[in-house]
Amino acid sequence: MLSFVCRRLFFAVILLFVVSAFTYVIFAALPSDPAALTCGKNCRPEVIAQNRVRLGYDKSIPEQYGNFLKGIVSGRTYGAGEGVHCPAPSLGYSFRKHQCVTDLITRTLPVTASVALGAFVLWMLIGIGLGTMAALKRGRWPDRLATGFSVIGISLPTFFIGLLGIMVFVIWTGLLPFPRYEGITADPAKWFMSLILPWFTLAVVSASSYIRLTRNGILEVMNEEFVRLGLAKGLKRRTLIVKYVMRAALLPIVTIAGLDFAALLGGAVITESVFSLPGMGKLSIMAVNDSDLSILVATTLVAATFIVIANALVDILYGFLDPRVRTY
Amino acid sequence: MSHQKKLIGAFIVGALLLAACGGSSSDGGDAAVGGGLSATDEGIKDGGTLFILDHSTGATNLDPQRIYTGADLGFLGSTITRTLTSYTPIAGKKGTELIADLATDTGTPSEDVKTWNFTLRDGVTFEDGAAIVCDDIRYGVSRTFASEMTGDEGPLYAKSMLDVAGEYPGPYTATADQQAAFEKAVECSEDGKTITFHLKNPVADFNYTVALLSFAPVPKAKDTADKYTLKPVSSGPFMVQSYEEGKELVMVRNPNWNQDSDPVRKPHLDEIRWQFGLEESVIDERMIADAGDDQMTIVYGTIQPENLQTVFEDPKFADRRTDGFDGFVSYTMINIKKVPCLEVRQAFWLALDREALRTAAGGPYTGVFADSFINPLLAVDYTPGTVTEGLNVDGTPNVEAAQAKMDAAKVSCPEVHKYATEQGLRFDHGQSDLWAKLISIWIDSLGAVGIKIIDNAIEPSKYYATINQDPGDLMRAGWAADWNNASTVVPELFTKEGGFNYSQNWEDPAYAAFSEQVNLAKGETDRVKQAKLWQETNQYVLDQAWAVPGSFTKAQNLVGSRVRNAYQWLPFGWYNVGAIGLAE
Amino acid sequence: MNSKVPLLSIRDLQVSFNTREGLVRAVDGISFDVEHGESIGIVGESGSGKSVMVNAILRLNFATEVIVKGEILFDGVDLLKLSEAEMTRIRGREIAMIFQDPLSALNPFYTVGHQIGEAYLVHHPDASKSEVNRIVLNALDKVGIPEAAKRIKSYPHEFSGGMRQRIVIAIALVNDPKLLIADEPTTALDVTVQAQILDLIQSLREQSDSAVILITHDLGVVAETAQRVMVMYAGRAAESSTVTSLFEAPSHPYTQGLMRSVHSLENSSRGSLKSILGVPPSLINLPGGCAFRPRCSHQLGDQSKCNTDKPELRLVGKSNVACHLPDEIIKSNSVSDV
Repeated sequence: MLSFVCRRLFFAVILLFVVSAFTYVIFAALPSDPAALTCGKNCRPEVIAQNRVRLGYDKSIPEQYGNFLKGIVSGRTYGAGEGVHCPAPSLGYSFRKHQCVTDLITRTLPVTASVALGAFVLWMLIGIGLGTMAALKRGRWPDRLATGFSVIGISLPTFFIGLLGIMVFVIWTGLLPFPRYEGITADPAKWFMSLILPWFTLAVVSASSYIRLTRNGILEVMNEEFVRLGLAKGLKRRTLIVKYVMRAALLPIVTIAGLDFAALLGGAVITESVFSLPGMGKLSIMAVNDSDLSILVATTLVAATFIVIANALVDILYGFLDPRVRTY
Repeated sequence: MSHQKKLIGAFIVGALLLAACGGSSSDGGDAAVGGGLSATDEGIKDGGTLFILDHSTGATNLDPQRIYTGADLGFLGSTITRTLTSYTPIAGKKGTELIADLATDTGTPSEDVKTWNFTLRDGVTFEDGAAIVCDDIRYGVSRTFASEMTGDEGPLYAKSMLDVAGEYPGPYTATADQQAAFEKAVECSEDGKTITFHLKNPVADFNYTVALLSFAPVPKAKDTADKYTLKPVSSGPFMVQSYEEGKELVMVRNPNWNQDSDPVRKPHLDEIRWQFGLEESVIDERMIADAGDDQMTIVYGTIQPENLQTVFEDPKFADRRTDGFDGFVSYTMINIKKVPCLEVRQAFWLALDREALRTAAGGPYTGVFADSFINPLLAVDYTPGTVTEGLNVDGTPNVEAAQAKMDAAKVSCPEVHKYATEQGLRFDHGQSDLWAKLISIWIDSLGAVGIKIIDNAIEPSKYYATINQDPGDLMRAGWAADWNNASTVVPELFTKEGGFNYSQNWEDPAYAAFSEQVNLAKGETDRVKQAKLWQETNQYVLDQAWAVPGSFTKAQNLVGSRVRNAYQWLPFGWYNVGAIGLAE
Repeated sequence: MNSKVPLLSIRDLQVSFNTREGLVRAVDGISFDVEHGESIGIVGESGSGKSVMVNAILRLNFATEVIVKGEILFDGVDLLKLSEAEMTRIRGREIAMIFQDPLSALNPFYTVGHQIGEAYLVHHPDASKSEVNRIVLNALDKVGIPEAAKRIKSYPHEFSGGMRQRIVIAIALVNDPKLLIADEPTTALDVTVQAQILDLIQSLREQSDSAVILITHDLGVVAETAQRVMVMYAGRAAESSTVTSLFEAPSHPYTQGLMRSVHSLENSSRGSLKSILGVPPSLINLPGGCAFRPRCSHQLGDQSKCNTDKPELRLVGKSNVACHLPDEIIKSNSVSDV
């Protein structure tokens, strides 16, 4: 088991390098000129040329990538004169935002993580709860209710659900204040209040597929021979559902949930936009609008890192949960 | 700025660059320049928090040297950034009158108008209590020269006007000699009270130039170069308490500002919270609902087209809605090198279906057809221009008149006629969803008189760079004045020295006379006479059809029901935010 | 136990379920008895309702809604009238079951030791850990798992198919049930392993005095293990007799067909499988009359009872046969055709 974990982690590290190199090269290969983006609208060709040299964009792409990695390890100084120094781990400097990219990420990540974590807990509860209920009461009203809920969640866009939430709970009824994000350490109550709507919006959308996954998974497992054998042994229905059915049915959901959660950590773009949450998704959108490559490389990389890590963790977790996956 | 970006995409098609030069959204204080809210202190209870809702993810800039657009200039100027001169804080035309701010008066020029002197007031301080001295202003101005750092986005007047010997790369990388040369061009008196600007050429309205925030003081010890824009040092009645991109800018009262030293600002508020990154549709819904804190709210941006009807047809919004020119004029530049034929240029103007274009862009709310390059907000300089004979005032094409011009061109300039009808004219414009629709109106309406249009959609962020290197035959652009003088319009757009002239009209034999007239206007110190000259030169451009005006664009807005004194400050085309107060 | 009462007595059992297409009568009025210690084979093609019937005995209709009518008397108690809680006490303790596919019958997430122990513990909740351990080892030993102590902590996927079926049998026998139902216990296994498993069931039955119901589609399997046999067709009993009489004189035309397919399988090296013409009928909305009629080699004409009445079992010679053919024809056929 230990060797399995080690092997999986080693593979994840390799993959991270490949992903980072790949990301860097892709963005470097874009036709837009990062040097031209460093000096706004008063850019003259000679200024652009100076900045290109100063920022190392005149170097070959592998060399640039090398410098980028160096920046992560030991920090880097950007710009003219004394310039601006970004301490390690430096993911770059944004001349559009006038800030070290690492600072931008560390500021936006907690927001996204807050959104993601709460939404994740909610949608797993809703998804698995309603999915299980639907499977156990198959064909009866709880099933129809859960399936109907999931159809609505899947067919309505996040944007619409979010706006609807704002309209109903903020503007029409005034039950909730307009969500303005506040850090959990600064004001836990405000933090919570500002996230209720985003959590529910994301949860409704994401829970939908989990309702289906859970429902279908449970129904499928219920027809498995080993469940019938469990019943034939004399196991109680409740024991059977928890110990036999749920465990087997939820296992594949662990994988999907892990990856979904990781993807969300890379930025819940639409939800963050609707609720104006200053998270990573919003940061990426800003960067796209500004053609700010320094940020885009970093957010892409961070998002990819989460996915790679989640993938490895899910695999390892799977090894613990499913004896068939373990390799001795 | 994002709103301006949107405007560009929608109507004024130009680069970021062009968008960044002047006025912004909203209402006019004068009935003549659009409906708006009245300027009054009545009913205001001092204190409270004003909220500003904004779709964009952050302030364009807080660094004074990097500010260019009207709304930003007005906002920061009225709150945290003082300049030597400023504008009268009042609605209507009087608001464009220059008054002294940090200086004791509006400046003294030398006989030849190449040297300007300003004396600083007593008791003016930064937020830390330090006195503002000449060095601070000189240092601030020097930052606009650092084009790779703090001089990357603001106006370049200091660079083009100041008589600095040799190259000066700004304070961050200058050698001692270079710095000395700069300090010779901008002199400080021994006591630090008097600042003297030495100019390359006579500039009669240089005291307007120094009202730009690029001439605002920055304490050298507190300068953080690229990062200064995140936490600038205030000289005004407010100061930045916190600023988080994508979230909020919070300004509170500056305890070291005193009313006695400031004739421009009269603050009522305790706090201003500028909230970023909101969905435009959400902003509209909140403003329409007018609940809770939203009653103490203004919007940076405009009402979404789909909500205009609701807001403008329901009388309950009468006290809260605004509708006015945003200071911009959209126009089409014509490359005189490629189209050296007046008849073809006039035919183009006559044949273009401006009404169809406006309808496609959103109808009359988006603007009125322009008859000048000088915006009506430049109240002193604007006068209705005389357009080409036969041009329909309702914006519809006059195919007959256009065809007559084309027929005449066939005789007078057959080469150009052939070029326009056979090879076709390359039309440069910014790429957008709207333009994808508009282009067919161009092609069809000009095709009616045989002019072929070759569509050349350019990615908006690269628009300026592209047409700078390779100008097309026709180029779409938008412009707004940098201050209330057409000196920032006519020379900038149509002289060879101007920053944004892509028409290459200096190739035209008619250019020499024009240039002479412009130079005359530039040096004219009598403002009324100067205005007359700008009107004449503007008319000259219309007559020569070096460019063809499109629309004076408009913007609409709502304010919260407890917001008072939100008049439009004409020089900036936005509210005098620092002067806004809240009703109980 | 009262030896006059059969261990299991099934009376007019009907099992049906609703589907979108209509009512499926999987079991349509079956009656039979199983005596203590007796071994009975139930034979039929897939879809004949035999698996549905035995699942109904233990009420294993876990995931699907079924309608069960009739009586299932076990030791004189009608299982259909028991509560779910009472039923759980019967399952695994009084009546145990072996499933067709050993590869999917074991829970992949638990060790085999755990699964065997669980079967014991559920009916002996006060058993100590060591007692359970001893029972499990013993059970593994009994079913012939080598190095039982070592393999107790192994997971099902670490065993071969045959070994897994032995574990399933161990689970079934750990509580010494009175009745063992084996539902196609060898179908999914290699031919060589099949015989081993059958031998195992046979010898374990002889050691204990459990009765066995063996479900199979293979007459050969029945011949080796059962004393009595019932042939099912379309949810009904077609023929019921002792193994000896069935093999000596198969009476029902369907049984005869089955016999022929066994023989032809044995006789022909490849190709032409001399089997019963046609396909088993759909169980949805079965028409009245004899369900086997369309495939029957004896056509009595449109006016015959075959078209109108479902045939009931009646004694013809040594077998109970459900067929409308005259006795003489049944008797003569049973001899001549084989």
